[in-house]
Amino acid sequence: MSVQSHDLHLLTGAYAVDALAGDELDEFERHLDHCPSCAEEVRGLRETAARLGLAAAIAPPPWVRDQVLDAVNRVRQLPPSGVRLISADGPRRRRRLIRRLPRPIAVTAMAAAIVALAVLQVGTRHQLQQAQSANQNVASVLSASDAQIQLGSSAVGGTVTAVVSRHDREAVITAAGLPAPSDAKVYQLWVISPAGARSVGLLPGSSAGATSPVLAADVQPGDQLAVTIEPAGGTKQPTTVPIVEIHTRP
Amino acid sequence: MNTPSVGQQPHGRGHSEGHGHDLAGLLAQVACGDHAAFEAVYDQLAGPVYGVARKVLRDPAQSEEVAQEVLLEVWRSASRFDPARGSAAAWVMTIAHRRAVDRVRAENAATAREQKVAPDIGTSEDVFELVDMELDRQRVRRCMGRLSGLQGEAIKLAYYGGYSYPEVAGLLGLPLGTVKTRIRDGLIRMRDCMEVAP
Repeated sequence: MSVQSHDLHLLTGAYAVDALAGDELDEFERHLDHCPSCAEEVRGLRETAARLGLAAAIAPPPWVRDQVLDAVNRVRQLPPSGVRLISADGPRRRRRLIRRLPRPIAVTAMAAAIVALAVLQVGTRHQLQQAQSANQNVASVLSASDAQIQLGSSAVGGTVTAVVSRHDREAVITAAGLPAPSDAKVYQLWVISPAGARSVGLLPGSSAGATSPVLAADVQPGDQLAVTIEPAGGTKQPTTVPIVEIHTRP
Repeated sequence: MNTPSVGQQPHGRGHSEGHGHDLAGLLAQVACGDHAAFEAVYDQLAGPVYGVARKVLRDPAQSEEVAQEVLLEVWRSASRFDPARGSAAAWVMTIAHRRAVDRVRAENAATAREQKVAPDIGTSEDVFELVDMELDRQRVRRCMGRLSGLQGEAIKLAYYGGYSYPEVAGLLGLPLGTVKTRIRDGLIRMRDCMEVAP
């Protein structure tokens, strides 16, 4: 065992309590793939760490239960990985190919309104293809193996849910329970990075309380997803304080 | 491969009483879209999930958001739970802890970016106070008591405080290598203690 891998082995404890970050975390995770004894030790220490967590139980407010049980009706479940068509890099490669095709509208919010209704309503074959491409992109983020659900409570009521794929640098955003914006106002979605704010588009109108999904492309780790209230048609840069901000994992 | 695990011996150590086979079986049902099974999982684990989020994040509103995210994640990816790789409780608590820590680090990163200042990682005293107040499980407390002072402090800061080990080293004024080994040795000692304890 090299000095370096011995050093890495000592990180099992820190890893089991999520105390690794940045490059060291990446390096250790790569090491784990080739070190069955490290993986076995991590497994055991995770059980121990979980006991620390179980010992810290606090009952959440009762309305959290209602919200979660209601929200599961809107969250699609992942298929078991054993029968999953998307595995290794076969389908990923296919997705990359799709991505290389021009998809000017696929990345904008309005075209990402993927509901079947929209597909039915579009006129030309070209539009249909664009809508399907957007649909596929949304579906692929939702089924990405590293996708994480992140929630933000809006300052005006309602919840914004983002499914973020760090690997694909994409996010799918929906909102539920937002009040209808007042006349001549819209909800606009932004990706905020160190370089500034970039509009993803307007949140589509809601049906049955939840908006149809919007795809945000080029979401870098650590970027924020934010929603502001803007004049009809939207603006180039946010002009109001966001009603909700979601920090993606750095 | 995901095999429903009722009656199957989990491979992981530290078989947690009361959570265990029963939870693994419920998760297999959740993976098939069973809402009633999900409610049962919620009722067993919402407290620990929310508790961990509160420890790490402190802020109740943010902790509620994280707890919701984690429980929705459990619903979404129940089919990915593999009982051969550990207990159901550990699977859920791993998601919960990581998510809480991610949120803290994302916010620290955003604050640092906006204000160009180092994140304020607070002092260690208030962490201990919370921990001591709420560590009600006898066995965890007893096994924690058998650790050396530094092992216990390092583990509490890392797990309940959500600090990275370099941050823990900074807080305790110790070299990185020392903190790394204290966390590992302490967890191993706790693991062994909890395995033999009644």
